[in-house]
Order: sequence, then C-alpha cells, then structure tokens
Amino acid sequence: MTALRTSETLPVRYSGLDDIMRRVPVSVVWEITLACDLACQHCGSRAGRRRRDELSTAEALDLVEQIAELGARSVGLIGGEAYLRKDWLQIIAAIRAAGMECDLQTGGRNLSEERVAQAAAAGLNAVGISLDGIGATHDRLRGVIGSFEMALAAMRHVRAHGLEVGVNTQINALTLTQLPELMDIIIDAGCRNWQLAITTAMGNAADHPDMLLQPWQMLEVMPLLADLARKGRERGLFLQPASNIGYFGPHESALRNVMNEEIHFHGCNAGDTVMGIEADGTIKSCPGLPSPYAGGNVRERRLRDIWENAEPMAFNRRRTLDDLWGYCRGCYYAETCMAGCTWTAHALMGRAGNNPMCHHRALDFQSRGLRERLVKVKDAEGRSFDHGEFEIVVEAFAQAPVDA
Amino acid sequence: MPEPGRIPVPLRLCRGCQHFVRIENPACDFCGGDLAALEAAHQLRSAEVQDMIARLRAALTTH
Repeated sequence: MTALRTSETLPVRYSGLDDIMRRVPVSVVWEITLACDLACQHCGSRAGRRRRDELSTAEALDLVEQIAELGARSVGLIGGEAYLRKDWLQIIAAIRAAGMECDLQTGGRNLSEERVAQAAAAGLNAVGISLDGIGATHDRLRGVIGSFEMALAAMRHVRAHGLEVGVNTQINALTLTQLPELMDIIIDAGCRNWQLAITTAMGNAADHPDMLLQPWQMLEVMPLLADLARKGRERGLFLQPASNIGYFGPHESALRNVMNEEIHFHGCNAGDTVMGIEADGTIKSCPGLPSPYAGGNVRERRLRDIWENAEPMAFNRRRTLDDLWGYCRGCYYAETCMAGCTWTAHALMGRAGNNPMCHHRALDFQSRGLRERLVKVKDAEGRSFDHGEFEIVVEAFAQAPVDA
Repeated sequence: MPEPGRIPVPLRLCRGCQHFVRIENPACDFCGGDLAALEAAHQLRSAEVQDMIARLRAALTTH
C-alpha cells in the first residue's frame, strides 16, 4: 500500500517511514505457481500452465525462511491459482510458523469449502477474491461461464470458516459503470475490504486495448471512487486504491483517507517495502513488473543479497526528476509522485517515468480543452509479463467538464 | 544495514479546495487560499463537531 503506516491498528501490510528507512519488504507477493483454472483477458502473467521450472517444496520452504529473515510482515499468495500447487497448505503453514501473516488472492473458481477449511487449518489469515464486474461481465473477463457465481460461493466458504474476506476488482472499460452496484453486492456478501486497480496493459490485457481505460477517463474514475470510498466507509467497507490509481486532484484525500485525511500518494514503493516473487524463484521489486526489473533468482543468490544489492531492485530509490519525461517531468507533483506506478507507465510507454493514467494530468489537459488518447503501436510478444507499446495523442476535448 | 528506500516528499492538504500542495507555500497553488487560516478554521470546526458528538453521546447515555 502507498499510504504511510500511522497507526498500529492498520493492516500489517501498510508500511511506515521506519520500514522505508530500514527498507523492510513489508509486503511480499508470491506467485507460487502459474497454473490457473481461469483464462482472464487481463492477466499480466498470462497464467494457465505452470512454469517449467517452478520451485520445489524444499526450495519454497527455504524461501519462506529467507523472507522472514528480512522482516516481512505479510505474504500474499497468488498465481495462477495458488491452490493448484499441491504443497500450498505446507507453504501457508510455514509462513504462519515464521511469524508472518498470509493471505490468498484468488479467482475462486475451485476454492471449495474443503480447500478453505484446509487453508484455515493451515493458518491462512485472509482471502481476497477477484470480482471484475457483475455476472456476464465478470464471466467474460475471467474467460469461464459461471465464474462470477463460483467466486461468490468461494466468498461464502471463506466467511463460513471465519477468515477475513476481501474483494479485488479490475477497473476497465467493461467494469467501470458497474462499480456502484458491485459495491452493494460486496457489502451484502459481508466483505470489509475492497481493493481496486486499473487494468494495466500487460500480458493478455495488452492484447485487448479496447478494454483499457483512456487517460481522460480518470476524470470519471477518481470522483466515482472517492464517492464510493465515502459511502463504503459509512457501511463498513474499506476501499483500497492500488498504486496505479491516482493521482492528486481534489479527490486524493477522500480516496486515500485511512483514518487520516492527510494521507496522499507517495510514489511507487516497489523495492522499498514491496517485493514480488515468481514461481521459478525470480525476485522482482513488484509482482507485476516485466523481466528487466528482475533482481535475480533465489536458486543462484540468497534472497537478502538480491534484495539489498541487486541493482534492478534499486530503480525506485535511485529515481530522480531527471528520470521523468513527458508531462510528468514538469508536473507540479513530480517530486512526490515520481510518475506514479512504474508498472503502469512501463507497460504503456515502454519505459518508466511518464504515466498518462493520472487525474491531475487529465484535469490539466481538460482545463486547456484537450485530452490524451492512447493508441497502440506495437503488439506484445505473447510472453508472461510482456507488454506492447502505446503512443499518446493529444486532441481537442469537446466534452463538457465533468465534476472535477 | 541496507541502503534506505526513497523517502517520500510530503504534501499538505488545502482545506479550501482539497488539493494537496507543497508544504513550503503559504498559499494554495490551486485556489489561492491562506493555508494556515484554512487549517485553523478546519480545526475549529472539527473541535465543534467532536464536542457535539460527545454531548450527544452523553445525552444518550443518561436517557
């Protein structure tokens, strides 16, 4: 999360200034397998079949110990589908035994009551279930008819076993208008946490440019999310915007208000307090970043050595204003924001430092009667975590100003 | 000891227009408001609301 940890009552995956100073990987996101039982149109890793060389059980359990040695507080298991790995319960138990919290992020297609019971017994703390729109919209995005109902059933299983349940939602051209109704469904299902992220043009999503939001749509996204955050709080739902949602503008405080109105986006935290791990032991500073950001592999180097010394892991703390380009280079918020989410910027523009998916930026263009439109100019190659390339076209924006 | 991460550059919330602004500026770069005066007025309003909530709670407890 991007908000600074200001209270001990916040979830453990929130980071504070002391974590940044000591550079603790507070939140580790671990793809334990690439095997998947869904076929999501937006999947950045193009999950489906397991990787040829995924870590063995012994290697995975050793990695758990190495993660704990770095002071991590939270390990999120993702895939693919994490439960398709035979030793997933052993990994959960090892994470809990090492004193860290463990959550599972899942599409929930085959998260049966039996699997939930086993995971709860192993010590799993929480489950985040993906709901991308309602009914047929979700089914279309997830590539499996009936997957929406299966995800809701999985939520019921999780609640029945006393685990905390959250929902993850992709914001894109198909889901945007459904978010208010989806929030009602989520609240009625007893969910307390809702994490939202903009669909990033990586992997399968790069092959579906019509699904992606255009930069000017941030003019709609930010007021909507701020409104949902306010209404959700009143009904006991805590809305968590991912790092690729922003930035600034008049709704920043309302959107990121975690018990404190002064909280704002602080820039990408990849490699500072966040770590990503691929199923073959590749270590990255953020789970979504493409291969040039890989710091090394735990089969070749100790995790601490990669985390502390690998240069690809250090891009964030090395980044200066000189690394920014395009609009972001001269932006009012440049020093704080540093072009926002590195993953989003790189996936769209082929390199970090200029991120058109920004509310402040869209407002600035709108005030001049302009908008930015992304045009795909290069296809992705079809590999895990690959991306195409987009160009920004600046054009007249005739639309009447929306509520800023 | 590992090299520290990037220390975020903090911003200040303008209570007039709800934009975040650079902390060194006395006036809001977006609405022109006096940041200190707006903050003082906000604190006063917050204190009044808290006082009202406390009185309401007390009244509910006694009845």
